[in-house]
Amino acid sequence: MSGPPDSTPLDAANAAFIGCGVMVSVASRDANLAPSVVRALGCRVAPDRRRVTVLLAGSQSAALLRDLRDTRAIAVVFSQPSTHRTIQLKGSDALVGAPEPGDAALIEANCAALVRDMVPAGYPESFVRTLLAFEPHDLVAVTFAPSAAFAQTPGPHAGKRL
Amino acid sequence: MLAVDAIRDCLEGAVPSIVATCAPDGTPNVSYVSQVHYVDGAHVALTYQFFSKTRENVLANPRATLFVADPATVARYRLEVEYVRTETEGALFESMKAKLAGIASHTGMSGVFRLLGSDLYRVRGIEAVPCARLPAPPPRRSLLASLRAASQRLNACTDLAGLLDESLDCLARVFGVDHAMVLMFDATARRLYTVASRGYASSGVGSEIPLGHGVIGVAARELAPIRISHATSEYGYGRAIRAAAAEAGMADRLETEIPFPGLPASRSQLAVPIVACGQLVGALYVESTEDRRFGYDDEDALVALAAQLGTGIHVLQATEGQDEAPAGASRRLPVTGAPVVVRHYAENDSVFLGEDYLIKGVAGAIFWKLARDYVNDQRVEFTNRELRLDPSIRLPDVSDNLEARLVLLQRRLDERAAPLRIEKTGRGRFRLCVGRPLKLVEVAPA
Repeated sequence: MSGPPDSTPLDAANAAFIGCGVMVSVASRDANLAPSVVRALGCRVAPDRRRVTVLLAGSQSAALLRDLRDTRAIAVVFSQPSTHRTIQLKGSDALVGAPEPGDAALIEANCAALVRDMVPAGYPESFVRTLLAFEPHDLVAVTFAPSAAFAQTPGPHAGKRL
Repeated sequence: MLAVDAIRDCLEGAVPSIVATCAPDGTPNVSYVSQVHYVDGAHVALTYQFFSKTRENVLANPRATLFVADPATVARYRLEVEYVRTETEGALFESMKAKLAGIASHTGMSGVFRLLGSDLYRVRGIEAVPCARLPAPPPRRSLLASLRAASQRLNACTDLAGLLDESLDCLARVFGVDHAMVLMFDATARRLYTVASRGYASSGVGSEIPLGHGVIGVAARELAPIRISHATSEYGYGRAIRAAAAEAGMADRLETEIPFPGLPASRSQLAVPIVACGQLVGALYVESTEDRRFGYDDEDALVALAAQLGTGIHVLQATEGQDEAPAGASRRLPVTGAPVVVRHYAENDSVFLGEDYLIKGVAGAIFWKLARDYVNDQRVEFTNRELRLDPSIRLPDVSDNLEARLVLLQRRLDERAAPLRIEKTGRGRFRLCVGRPLKLVEVAPA
């Protein structure tokens, strides 16, 4: 049984960045190394930044949730559409659990920030809101300790470890 | 399984797609991709722009999963795919490179997004993700119905000039495409020249594009449609033509003498090669001031239309070689006024009427023969066959496009309101109508 790591690759600036106004996507893989993926809805970072929780729609994520339970391997990418600023976190201890009471509101806030970010670029507000639509009873929370963080903004520094 | 065709709208690059891969040690990786490109019903291709973890992973473990979304309905799909190979040249590569240039320009990433290769993937399965959707917008028109109507109209054409004009009229009236042109391929000079256009301030008939330059030149070279959904300076025609002119020499300076007619601020471009019997005949080009005006279905429709246009051009050019009896007795116009000085530069067969550039190349050589025969022998009636046999015109042996060059010459004369013009008198026959005396000046090569 692994507890929280002694340190986190997630600095305060990146923790704030992934908390609001970002597109979030989550991947895992099965025992045969076949990957699974879903677009998630939002993210919550623990105050000590050692735990990150991503929120997703369970009904859209059957294979991913099965793989997370089986292998616990996780990769999550966060990207701000207007700036292309992107980071990826990886972990090996993902746990699938239930959302907390504030999580729905957190997704609403992320959605509102994304609307402000994406509508000027030409996306209809209805597009952004539909992409982040969810049924509260369908919400699943996946929590992990980031073991590595990578810069993934397109350009020469993409892939650099943070 | 769902065919890739059914979800092509998700693959326009309007919404970034997501790719998940897995390293041999079991570490998953997830990344955004700027373009998942539709290849066929069972293949897609991803842009390879940087050596990334995604690429490192698929080279070791070819299995990947894509997550894509429809830009209109927000319908989402998961594609289970397997890496096959990377292509670094050819039709797929050029088509993705052009599309990426549009995406880069639209998203402020010009200079950052650069295509190194097209990573081809086999699609093993497509899963519709259960999720909220928006209603699909009503289609602009039925493209199949448009294609049928246009196809019938093209089938009814009996001469090349009519076929070219009918094609552009169909694009405007049936497909609602207001800016279009047809270019013919000159296999000897490896250039495309405009023979017909519609929707531009000046027709640009006679303007030239080197093979491989810009959207049209690349489509012709690769024999593949090239489509760009956003404004991009990389494929703008100002640039292609300046680059060609920079390779200079007198012959090349004349290339810019007739300006290319394209829109100054094109936001959507689609160039489709015109092919007949496996040979490049020319290109059909359409453009729009709207972003994303042409989608995959428009591309399909125009490829089908261009195929029919190619066959029509081929058939009509072949039948123009068969002489018919002349339509009527030889008729000469009264010749009055001051003589027009016709200068011919043997170096490149360029012809000037007074100080005005008219045409060069094969069309220039044709004009010079007609003018000489008129002045020396007072002839006004001509046949396509004698032009083919005349050694001074130097037509290529196969696919000489003689009829297309006559159309070009005829239109240049008409547009310049020249004191002489060409009038068709029957299949494979035409008349030179001269309204002022001609004074011929031959300029030998320096």
